[in-house]
Amino acid sequence: MNYRKYALTGAALMGLTVLSAPASAGKADDTLKIGLRAELQNMDAYFNTDRVGIIVARHVWDNLLYRDPADFSYKPALAKSYKWVDDVTLEFELRKGIKFHNGEVFDADDVVYTLNFVSNPENKVKNQRNVSWIKNAEKIDPYRVRIHLKKPFPAALDFIAGPLPIYPNEYYAKVGPEGMNAKPIGTGLYRVVSVEPGKEMVFEKNPDYFAESPKGQPSIGKLVFRTIPDTNTAVAELMTGGIDWLWKLSRDQGDNLKSNPNLVVTGGGTMRIGYLQMDAAGRSGDHPLKDVRVRRAIAHAINRKAIVDHLLPQGANVVNPACYPKQMGCTNDVTSYAYDPKKAKALLAEAGYPDGFSIPFDAYRNRNFAEAMIGDLRTVGIKTELRFNKYAPTRDNVSAGKSTMNFMTWGSYSINDISAITSHFFKKGPSDLARDDDVAKWLEAGDTSVDPAVRNENYTKALKKIADQAYWLSLWNYAYVYAFNKDLDFTPTADEIPRFFTARWK
Amino acid sequence: MTLQSAKQTQSATDQQAILRPTPRQQMIVRIKMHYSLQIGASILIAMILMAIFASFLVPHDPYAQDLSNRLVDPIWGSTGTWDHPLGTDSLGRDYLSRLIYGSRIALMIGFSAMLISGVIGTILGVAAGYFGGRVDAVISFIILNRLSLPVTLVALAVVSVVGSSLEVVVVVLGLLIWDRFAVVLRSATLQVRNMEYVAAAEVLGASFPRIIFKDILPNISNHLIVVATLEMAHAILLEAALSFLGMGVQPPLPSWGLMVSEARDFMFFKPWMITVPGVALFLLVLAINLLGDGIRDVTTPEGRN
Amino acid sequence: MLMFAIKRLGLALLVTFTVSIISFSLVRMTGDVATAIAGEGATEADIEIVRQQYGLDRPLSVQYIEWSGKILHGDLGQSLFFQRPVSEILAEKLPVTLTLGLLALGFAVSLAIPLGVLAAVKPNSLIDRISLIIAVLGQAMPTFWFALVMMVVFGVILRWLPVSGSDTLAHFVMPAIALGYYATPAIMRLTRAGMLDVLSSDYIRTARAKGLDTHVILFKHALRNAVIPVVSLAAVQLGFMLGGSIIVESIFSIQGVGHLALISIERADFPVIQGIVLVLAVFYIFLTLLADILNGWLDPRIRIS
Repeated sequence: MNYRKYALTGAALMGLTVLSAPASAGKADDTLKIGLRAELQNMDAYFNTDRVGIIVARHVWDNLLYRDPADFSYKPALAKSYKWVDDVTLEFELRKGIKFHNGEVFDADDVVYTLNFVSNPENKVKNQRNVSWIKNAEKIDPYRVRIHLKKPFPAALDFIAGPLPIYPNEYYAKVGPEGMNAKPIGTGLYRVVSVEPGKEMVFEKNPDYFAESPKGQPSIGKLVFRTIPDTNTAVAELMTGGIDWLWKLSRDQGDNLKSNPNLVVTGGGTMRIGYLQMDAAGRSGDHPLKDVRVRRAIAHAINRKAIVDHLLPQGANVVNPACYPKQMGCTNDVTSYAYDPKKAKALLAEAGYPDGFSIPFDAYRNRNFAEAMIGDLRTVGIKTELRFNKYAPTRDNVSAGKSTMNFMTWGSYSINDISAITSHFFKKGPSDLARDDDVAKWLEAGDTSVDPAVRNENYTKALKKIADQAYWLSLWNYAYVYAFNKDLDFTPTADEIPRFFTARWK
Repeated sequence: MTLQSAKQTQSATDQQAILRPTPRQQMIVRIKMHYSLQIGASILIAMILMAIFASFLVPHDPYAQDLSNRLVDPIWGSTGTWDHPLGTDSLGRDYLSRLIYGSRIALMIGFSAMLISGVIGTILGVAAGYFGGRVDAVISFIILNRLSLPVTLVALAVVSVVGSSLEVVVVVLGLLIWDRFAVVLRSATLQVRNMEYVAAAEVLGASFPRIIFKDILPNISNHLIVVATLEMAHAILLEAALSFLGMGVQPPLPSWGLMVSEARDFMFFKPWMITVPGVALFLLVLAINLLGDGIRDVTTPEGRN
Repeated sequence: MLMFAIKRLGLALLVTFTVSIISFSLVRMTGDVATAIAGEGATEADIEIVRQQYGLDRPLSVQYIEWSGKILHGDLGQSLFFQRPVSEILAEKLPVTLTLGLLALGFAVSLAIPLGVLAAVKPNSLIDRISLIIAVLGQAMPTFWFALVMMVVFGVILRWLPVSGSDTLAHFVMPAIALGYYATPAIMRLTRAGMLDVLSSDYIRTARAKGLDTHVILFKHALRNAVIPVVSLAAVQLGFMLGGSIIVESIFSIQGVGHLALISIERADFPVIQGIVLVLAVFYIFLTLLADILNGWLDPRIRIS
C-alpha cells in the first residue's frame, strides 16, 4: 500500500483526460448518433412494448402496408395491392423480388408464417391486442395471401401497417424469438450490425432495399442508437457533439438549446393525449368525485390553456373529447370546460364542499404538469396527495380500481382510430372508471360496424356523455421537441415514430 | 479530531495547571476556543429559526404558482426584481420562499429519522453492551446483516413499493440508519459497564431501568449526541438523494433535493437554479457535522479515534 | 488463527443466508408484477398471459423455495424485462461498477492518505487546515449535486471530460471523483489519527533518537503501521461505494449495476433487484471478512477477543 503508486495512477488519469477530446460525430463519417432514453427489452418487435421497439421495427422490417405519416393514408409496401373480400377477409397481392437481409426470398409463406405465429396465443407475443383480431392467414398462391378476421374490425389496416412487421419464415422457424432478438433479420432499410443491450445499437444501410418501397431509400450510412437514460445528460452530450439527435425534450430545454448555433430545434404535435380520469363509479371508495358537480368543478379549476401555453412545446393544444381529434370517429362537438375557478368554487359549494377536500392523485410522468394542476386545484380548495410513481404501478392501481383521480397519457399505439382509445377506457374494462352502460353500449356498436355513418353516430353519443358527465377530462395532446445537428435534414412526424431512413445530411 | 481541538486541548491543559477550574468551566472554555463548533452551531440555529418562522420570513406563498411569471431571474440576473430575490421556478413560484420552507422539510426529516434510528440503535447497542454474551452475539449479528445491505438501494426499493411520501421516507430512513448508533453505543456501554459504580449499583440491588437510565445512559450521552448529529446529517443527505431520484418527498413540498431535481432542466442554462438549493443543503449538513465534531472534541478531548 | 478464520467464515455464511431471505421478501412486498412486465399500454389479456407465463399466479412460499433452491446453484433467476438470466446480466454490468468503485477508492485513497500523513506530521499547519477543510466539505457535499456541478463545469463549459458513458478511462474521471470524494474524509481522519499515534510511540522516538532520516522514519516505519486500519476501512468503503453508485451511474449514464438497480426498481424487475441486493451484500460480507482476517493476522489481539 504505497501512496506514491496511487499518486501516479491519479496523475496518469488526469493525463488521459486531457488527451481525450469529445468524439466528433456526424456528417464527416456518415454516422448518425441518436440519443435514446430507454433501452430496448427485446429486439424482436413482437416481444417488446417499447416505443424504441416500434422505431427499430420500422427500420429493420417492412409491413404489408405503410401508413403515410403526412396524410395517414395506407400505401402498399410488401404488398403490391390489397382489397376487402368481405367484412372479415382481406386479400393481399405481394411484391416479387424482395429479399431479407440474410438472402431469404420474400413470399406468401413469410406472411402466413409470421401472422399465424404471432396470432397464436400460445406463442405469447407481448401485445395481444395487436394480434387478437386475426383468425388466421392463408396462402392463396406464392404471392397472394388472405387474412381472415374473427369479426369485423374497422381498424385492421392500421394494425397491418403498424405493429405487424413480416418476418422471414425459414429463419424465424429455425431461431425463434430468442434468435430474432440476438440477430434481427428483416427486409428493411437498415441491417442490424450489433446490439449491446442498454448501451448501443448499430445499424447500417441496406444497399439491396427494394426500389418500389413507399418508405423511399435510406440515405445515411450508419445509425448508432445510444441509450442515455438521463435527459439532461443527453442534452449535455448533444451540446458537446457526443450525439447528433435527441427527442422528447422539455419545452424549456428546447428553448434554451435554440441559442446553440450547432443545433436545430424543432417539434410538433403528436396523437398522444394527456387526461385526468376520475373515479365516478366510486370503485376506490366513497369520495367527493362520485358527484358530477365536483368532477365539473375540477374540470373548471384546471387551467389547461395556461399549462399548454407556458409549459408544453409548440404543437400541443387543449383537447376536449376523450380521443385525439384527428382520429377516425372523434369529434370536437362536446362540452368543453373553460378555466373558471369561481365557477369551480360555486360548484364545490353546491355539492357540499365549500372548503374543499383532500384526495389522492396518481401520476406517472410530467411531474411539472401534475404539479401545475395540483397548484390549480389548491386555489379552489382541493388538496391532493400526489402519488407519483412509475407507469406500471400507477396503471396497476388504476386497473385495480384503487385510483380516485389520475393524470395519465395515452398514445393510442399510433392507431388513427377512436377504438384504440375511447373504447379502451369506456367499455367496462379494468381501466374504465366511469362504468357507464350507455357509453359502453354505444362504443361497442361503433367498434363492430364497418359503416362510417353508424360508427360516427354512436361514437359522438358516447363522447358527448363522457364530456358532459366529466368522467374524464382530456387535457392536451402532446408535442415533442427534437434537437439535432444542424447538418441533418430531419422531419418529425405526428405518430411519434422518428424515421431516420428519410433523414439525410445537408 | 480537529486542529482547533488540538490547540484548545493544549491550552486547556495549560490553564488547568494554574487555575484548576471545574470540568464545567473547562468545557465552556473549550467551547469558546472551538471556532468550528461555534460556526456550525450558529448556522444550525439560524436554519432552525428560519424553519420555525418560515411563514413570517417568506415574501410569497411557496406554493402559489403563476405560469405567466415563470423562470424569473434572481436579482443579479437580467430580469431580476426585488419582488423575487432568488427568482421563480419553472411554475412561477418564488424560489426564496420555497428555499426557506425547504429548511423545514430537511430538518424535520433529518430529526425524525435520526430519532427513530436513535431509539432502535440505542436499545440494541446498550442491550448488547450491557448484557453481553448471547444477547451481544445476536445483536452483533443483526448489525452485521444491516451493514451488508446497501442503504440507498434498499431505501429506493422499499419506497418504490410502499409509495413515496414524507412519512414513508422518514420511517424507511429511520429503520435503515441505526447501525452507527448500535455500534458506537455498544462499545461505549461496554466500557461504562465495567466501571465500579455500575457494579456497586448492581450489588446495592438497584433496578435494571435505574441502572440504565441513571448510570449508563448519562455516561454515554456524549457518544449518543455525536452519533445523533452524524446520522441526522446522513438522513438529510439521503432524503435529498431520494427526492432527487423522484422517490422521496413528493411535490408540491419544497424539498431541497427535489428542487435540485426540478431545476435540472435548466442546469446548463440557469446554473443558479441547482446551485441555490444545493448550497443550502450543503450548509445545513456542514453545520450539523461541524457541531457534531465540535461536541466530540469538547466532551472527550482525549478520546480521538 | 485458523480457528478465528473459520469462525469468521461461518458467521459470514450465516449473514449471507439471512440477507438472502431479506432480499427475497423485500421485493416480494410489491403489488402486481405482471403489469410491470407487460409494459405500457398492455391490456388485461396481455397481463394475464404474462402472469401465467412467469408463474406469478403461484403462492409466494412456492416461489420462494424455488428461488432459494436455484440460488444455491448460482441461478439468480430470469430477468422479467430482458428475459435473460440475471447472473448473465450482472456479469455484464459488474465489471463497469467494479472499475468505477476501484477508481473512486483509488481517488479517495490517493487524496486522503498523503493529506492525512502530512496533516499528522505537521499538526496545526496550513496543510492540516487544508486537509481538514477537504474532509469537512466532503462529508457535507451531496453526491448528486457535486456530480451535476462537475458535469456543468468540466463537461459542458470547459469540455475537458466526456459527460456520459464508460468507454474510456476519461469517462470515469468525474464519476470516480463524485463517488470517491464522500469516502475521503473517513480515510483521511483515520490515517491522520493512526499516524499521530504511531509517531508518538516509543519505537519511532527511538528511531528518531538514533538519528534515522525523517523520510525513512515516515515511510518505512510510521506509515506502514498507520495504514493497517486504513486498509480494512478502504475495503469496507469499497463495499459502500458499490451500493452508492446508483446516483452517480444514473447521472453519468454508466451502464453498471447501480443504474441497472435503479431502472429495475422502476420496472419492478424483481429478480434483478433481488440479485443485485444479494450480490452487493455478499460482496460487502466478503470484503469485511477479508478485512477482519487481515486485521486478525496483523494484530493478534483481535483474534483472541
